[in-house]
Amino acid sequence: MRRFDYYRAISVDEAIALLNEHGEGGMLLSGGTDLLVQIKEAGLAPAYVVGLSGIDELRELRSNGDGLHIGAGVLMHEVASDGTVQAQYSALCDGAGVVGSRQTRNMATVGGNVCNAAPSADTGPPLSVLDATVHVAGGGGTREVAIDDFWTGPGRTVLDSEVVTHITVPAPPANAGSFYERHTPRQIMDIAAVGTAVYVELDGDGNCSQARIALGAVAPTVVRAPAAEAALSGGPITAARAAEAGRAAAGEATPISDQRGSAEFRTHLVEVMTTRSILHAAERAQG
Amino acid sequence: MTTETRPEYSSVGKRETRIEGAGKVTGGAIYAADVQVPDMLHCKLVHSPHAHARIVSIDATKALAIDGVERVIVAEDFGQAVKDGSNPAIDASNRGAALLAHKQAVFTGEPVAAVLAETPSAAEEGVEAVEVTYEVLPHVLDLEAAMEDGSPLARPPVSDIDHSEEEAHVTLDVDTEEAEGKPTNVASHVSFTRGDIEAGFAESDVIVERTWRSASMHQGYIEPHATVADFKPATGELTVWAATQGQFMVRDTIMRTLKWPETKLRVIGCELGGGFGGKMTLNSPLVAALSVIAGRPVKLVLTRAEDITAAAPAPRAMINLKTGMKKDGSLTAIEASVVYGAGAYPGAPAAVGALLGTSFYKWPNLKADGYEVLTNHVSVGAIRAPGTHNAMHAVEQNIDEMARQLDLDAGAVRLQNVSQTGDPMASGQEFTKIGLDETVTQAIEHPLWKNREAAKAESTDTKMVGVGLAIGGWLGGLQPAAAEVMLNNDGTVNAVTGVNDITGTNTSFAQILAEELNISLDQINITTGDTKTAPFAGMSAGSKTLFTVGRALREAAIDLREQMFEVAADRLEANENDLELKDNAVSVKGSPDQSLGMDRLASMTTGFGALYKPLVGSGSIAARIQAPGFTAQLVKVEVDTDTGNVELKDFAIVQDVGFAINPLSVEGQMEGGAVQGMGIGLWEEYIYDDDGKLRNAGLLDYRMPTAADVPDIESLIVEVPSEDGPYGARGVGEPSITAGGAAIANAIADAIGARVSEIPATPERVLRALGTVGDGAEAAGS
Repeated sequence: MRRFDYYRAISVDEAIALLNEHGEGGMLLSGGTDLLVQIKEAGLAPAYVVGLSGIDELRELRSNGDGLHIGAGVLMHEVASDGTVQAQYSALCDGAGVVGSRQTRNMATVGGNVCNAAPSADTGPPLSVLDATVHVAGGGGTREVAIDDFWTGPGRTVLDSEVVTHITVPAPPANAGSFYERHTPRQIMDIAAVGTAVYVELDGDGNCSQARIALGAVAPTVVRAPAAEAALSGGPITAARAAEAGRAAAGEATPISDQRGSAEFRTHLVEVMTTRSILHAAERAQG
Repeated sequence: MTTETRPEYSSVGKRETRIEGAGKVTGGAIYAADVQVPDMLHCKLVHSPHAHARIVSIDATKALAIDGVERVIVAEDFGQAVKDGSNPAIDASNRGAALLAHKQAVFTGEPVAAVLAETPSAAEEGVEAVEVTYEVLPHVLDLEAAMEDGSPLARPPVSDIDHSEEEAHVTLDVDTEEAEGKPTNVASHVSFTRGDIEAGFAESDVIVERTWRSASMHQGYIEPHATVADFKPATGELTVWAATQGQFMVRDTIMRTLKWPETKLRVIGCELGGGFGGKMTLNSPLVAALSVIAGRPVKLVLTRAEDITAAAPAPRAMINLKTGMKKDGSLTAIEASVVYGAGAYPGAPAAVGALLGTSFYKWPNLKADGYEVLTNHVSVGAIRAPGTHNAMHAVEQNIDEMARQLDLDAGAVRLQNVSQTGDPMASGQEFTKIGLDETVTQAIEHPLWKNREAAKAESTDTKMVGVGLAIGGWLGGLQPAAAEVMLNNDGTVNAVTGVNDITGTNTSFAQILAEELNISLDQINITTGDTKTAPFAGMSAGSKTLFTVGRALREAAIDLREQMFEVAADRLEANENDLELKDNAVSVKGSPDQSLGMDRLASMTTGFGALYKPLVGSGSIAARIQAPGFTAQLVKVEVDTDTGNVELKDFAIVQDVGFAINPLSVEGQMEGGAVQGMGIGLWEEYIYDDDGKLRNAGLLDYRMPTAADVPDIESLIVEVPSEDGPYGARGVGEPSITAGGAAIANAIADAIGARVSEIPATPERVLRALGTVGDGAEAAGS
């Protein structure tokens, strides 16, 4: 591990000031489950590190009729065990509940997972299909970024000497359901080779009135699958239509081949997992 | 299952928790990385980024300018550390002597320079500042390509093959030819023949010929390699703290490498955080040499990534296997071409693979060739039963497939053909007393096997269930050992051995002493001495620790008892033959009032003016008769045919342990090996890119099974006593790893009707075997 300077911020403003004062090469430290491992084992050498764990306002998790507010420093464990998230934002609960190990989930934060910008991040596809908004603060004030616009590449985001303060998710209607699953060779302590998240709304006739489908680990960022969404919308959610949407999703994935699987294998997984996820999300919508 | 009546024992055979356990779980145990010596320098290594490259120059100027960096040492410097000024690193062709790469690097991650600094961080910064100029050379990574005429050579021709790691685990009675003539990547070749294989195949009703592959893997120890060396220039004393399974092997290796007298060399084997064959001598000679050159203590602790990348993983294998069987289930012939990847320095267990792969069944005709092939990968080391799981994966899939094609019960076929006591191995050497037959018998009577058709019926459209069986085993190592047992002044007993306790052997040793001296465990202390204070003992490897050192301790205890009887007989005016040791006293049988307490006896041998000599029991044994241990393993799997995921539902391991001195510890060894077998079957694999760089040098993508991945394991102990082991015990540690991978592969074939030809059976390989992914070329099927 290389030597580096560490600053512990106690407010969002102080964190932003530190980034502006020290300039290029700084890294923000939230739970540390990605960053510290990269520093210790993967040769990452930040010029300095700004710790965010002392900022209380980043720890807030609350919900009301309008939706969900997740402070950037809220732990994966807190999200996954929250009753409202489990009932209304199920895909997010699915994702937060499988990150790393129990120990990881007691340290890792939702903001860290989003800002680390791994295409395999387990909260990525769920936040995408739940239509989340990322709230960002910087020297020039605050701004809101749609989650699908937040990531610009593997490990890259729109942040520019800025701090993510919280993420909001609009409350879904009663006839909605969402689901996330990932493929990993191991049961736990693993990273998605493919992740699929599906959100559906059903109308009074049981037809799909709204569908959002997002894919993880098969493109430079988490991506939506609009052709699959179109294939599913406007009709009943049957096994055949789910499979058709799954095939469409496979056509929209652009995976690479790496140590977690070949592109061909991942494309196959997108098809079968999207199909399964649609049926699970529909079950929840009917639930 | 007890197959012979045996005496009633008071201590051995009882379940005992490990005596060193409390220290480990409370953080009190001292591991090599915990050792701090005043004025100590920290070492970090500069690693080659190329699989094969000439080292043109190494410029340390910028590194030495960094605050805290003291020295940068390269291969040419080692003459300063060797007593006669010679330099072992020059043109070294075995890994042990290649302290740092000299002139060329032959695998990615090979150390080319060592930076010594006041702190680990400064050393790390120094590593990045060392400027090494390389001229990249052609590399060879593929085993088949490496064996072709005209292949680039992975390294300069080899002059000296070091098989010490393999030999630490098994004593083989075979001759290996080292390659001669025109240089090739084949470092060694071994061959066994029996009968007439053509005639054998001609009378076969079925012949299966397939090529099976198994991956290179890490041994899975959690503690990375760590060494501290402290050279005192004033006295010439060199002290080494090492994470090792064998402190005497470390001592002897440093002695040979640095020509260092063993009177001036103390090796202290620390508490070990796992070894599994992977903790031998790796960095100890290097760190010793660095300390001598620097004139200060030096510490080297590998990071996880360094350890996975550049320590000494277990080899991959490519095995072409042709076997024949008659309709009645009898075997006709086996022809095996067994290729083990050695990496860039020789030392792979091709002889083990060729021998064991063709010796566990009664093959009337056989031809087996083992090849050790060099490529530009990290050189391999031993693992629990080195080389055996690769061979069993191939043989057990072939046996299973022949039985399937002839519609025979694959369990009954195995029982019909397994080797028995006195049968010849492929080398002609006869098996000593073995319990393979009893082991297979118990496995095929197990409900998991008997109810396999009902299990298959649980299958759904996308979840296919199957049950697999495989056998395995290990011949066991042999090495002399000595031990000492002393009577303390309070009547308790101290014992000293020189063997590093890696599996709970000190607990079993205490049970042996308790048995022979008829005292309780809490009256016994076992100390692991170092190489200057302990009598010689071999490595904790080869499933021979308890098998050999346990015998020496038992002899030492008997010696002590006899000495106690000698004193007591004189004191009590009785005949030694009329005495007994009971309730912490030596008494005349039938006359309990004529008695001498052990404490009183001890004071008569130690106090001022005491009349008798101190009582020190010595045991010293030669080990000449192997006690092979066999296993049969059963697994039930559920295969998701959409995703290729294989879930382990149930597992049973049957193993002949001869006699379980501590059944709790024996079951731990069985379960641990079974879990490693699961890793071999489903997850564990070194994955390289086309440039020979490891892509999964971390515990995230190098997947060992977690508790959540492992099903309940039922451990079934078979006890067919060995000829020579203490109380009939056999080596226990290694057989358990040998069959799990093969059993899982067979279970997958049972579930999906297609065979995965390469393990681990990753989801992608399962889908390719099914033909769901890929062009169907992999789906050659069963």
